[in-house]
Amino acid sequence: MKRISTLLGGFLVLLLLGGCWKNASNEGDLRIVVLSPELAEIIASLDGVELMVGVTRECDYPPELAELAQVGNFGAVDMEKVLALKPDMVFTAGLEQEALAAELAKTGLRVHTFHPRKLDDLPNIIVEIGSLIQREKQAATVADSLRKGFAEMRSQTADLPKPKVYLEIYRDPLMSVSDESYVGEVIESAGGDNIFSVLERDYARISAEDVVKANPDIIICYSEVSLESILSRKGWQDIPAIQNKRIYFEKDIDPDLILRATPRALEGLRRLNRLFYP
Amino acid sequence: MKRNHLFAILLAFAGLLVVLLYLFGGGADGNIVLQLRLPRLILTVFTGMALAGIGSVYQLMLANPLAEPYILGISSGSAFGSILLGVLGFSLLMPLGGFIGATATLFLVWHLAQRKGSFDRSRLLIAGVIAGMFFSAGISLIMYLFQKDTMIILGTLMGNLGHVFTRSEWQFFLILAGLSLLIMVWLYFRSTALDIMSGGDVYAGSVGIDVARTRKEIFLLTSLLIGITVSYAGIIGFVGLIIPHVVRFFIPSGQKRVYPWSLAAGGIFLLFCDLIAKNIAAIELPVGVITAAVGCPFFIWLMLKK
Repeated sequence: MKRISTLLGGFLVLLLLGGCWKNASNEGDLRIVVLSPELAEIIASLDGVELMVGVTRECDYPPELAELAQVGNFGAVDMEKVLALKPDMVFTAGLEQEALAAELAKTGLRVHTFHPRKLDDLPNIIVEIGSLIQREKQAATVADSLRKGFAEMRSQTADLPKPKVYLEIYRDPLMSVSDESYVGEVIESAGGDNIFSVLERDYARISAEDVVKANPDIIICYSEVSLESILSRKGWQDIPAIQNKRIYFEKDIDPDLILRATPRALEGLRRLNRLFYP
Repeated sequence: MKRNHLFAILLAFAGLLVVLLYLFGGGADGNIVLQLRLPRLILTVFTGMALAGIGSVYQLMLANPLAEPYILGISSGSAFGSILLGVLGFSLLMPLGGFIGATATLFLVWHLAQRKGSFDRSRLLIAGVIAGMFFSAGISLIMYLFQKDTMIILGTLMGNLGHVFTRSEWQFFLILAGLSLLIMVWLYFRSTALDIMSGGDVYAGSVGIDVARTRKEIFLLTSLLIGITVSYAGIIGFVGLIIPHVVRFFIPSGQKRVYPWSLAAGGIFLLFCDLIAKNIAAIELPVGVITAAVGCPFFIWLMLKK
């Protein structure tokens, strides 16, 4: 018993010391916990890496984030870990994290939710985040370069013939994206024509038949299948993308560049554009 | 007109109509019909046949009108095995996982159903329900741990006939489907024995049937069949429950006649449900939802009429 209480006491002292040390080193700075990889990227691009004290497992860019404390997964955040980090602000995404944001707000934390769904919203959101974390100048620069880049890309591709693009995000069942989705807009802005303009949801089940009927010129395949397997699909043989082997995988275009709404979107647009018009 | 003739004519007519609509509905070129719709039709008909056939066999063998693979937990066990291999990245091995899951569940349920050395039918159902719950919990756990594979898991839980085949997968499927057909034929030749067994183990034993062995063989081979269907089509409920009852309504006597008609009616019924699932909404619905929605009211009507 005595030994245990000594141990506990020692542990407590260590904890206190650790806490003081941390506070001392970060005095005056904001302490931010970021639960969405998109927002972590945006904040990092505004020289905000040192402000972040906790992230979720999916926040993997820039690589420095790996050194931060992890507070769980995107869809399964450990509230206690978030609170233990004593953040001044928490940044969350929409959708699955909406309920979580409400829970966190109940504990008295300042929670900010951002969920960029359109390319043109992205610069505005970056400016907003910049003012929240006192990085206005950096935010203005990043936002301006994005606005300029998007406009340039759109004017470049406006008059070109648009190749038909099929983006496969899941194989069993087949799923793709609509023009309403963020990545759908990215494809269109990079000069492609997404074959599923309208779907029930941004990301939805589709039928193989509709893909074959649409005759895509290019397939972007994020469904973890091999080239051989997609080339030998029954009934897909007459599709131009299959015949010309214009099929691109994660290694050809990093999904994070076009699926995440971040400052890297511009790079994503340019790479897609190069795939569409080699 | 006799009831069984009426049934045969109705079934043939409905079958023809459904097949034609399924293959040529909405206008499609030859490539789509041959390469996409025909494989899906074969998968669907095969699945419906297997489910209805197994249902009719189980109901007779366990002398319980509610017996079907789903109630006995075998579907869930099979889905668990198949999903587990799927999320670990061995999608081609999913039928094997399905078979192992089905056999393991059956083995477990079988042993729980033994009492004082003999086989107890009501214990079997209880054990089945418990096993089903256990594996459902396991599937929920996998779903929680592998969030990015939620869709494949949902497809397995609610039925998904829209599997995209590559050429080698299709050949593999044809081999398994051929094997399944052999099992279905083998089950047909057990019809008389099953009829006799439904009169009680003692009676069946007295006319020279090795009851324990027949039961074991049937359970083993049907779990192989369930493993194959679950890994390609997921869990589809109600077909195995309803179709044999409907068939018995028209053809009251003799497993030797009920069984083949159940196969035919099961295949056509599932094809009909898949046709609805594909076309009723802009987005394809899970076929398990349709079999329940079509099957339940029909079953209630049949019960009230009786």
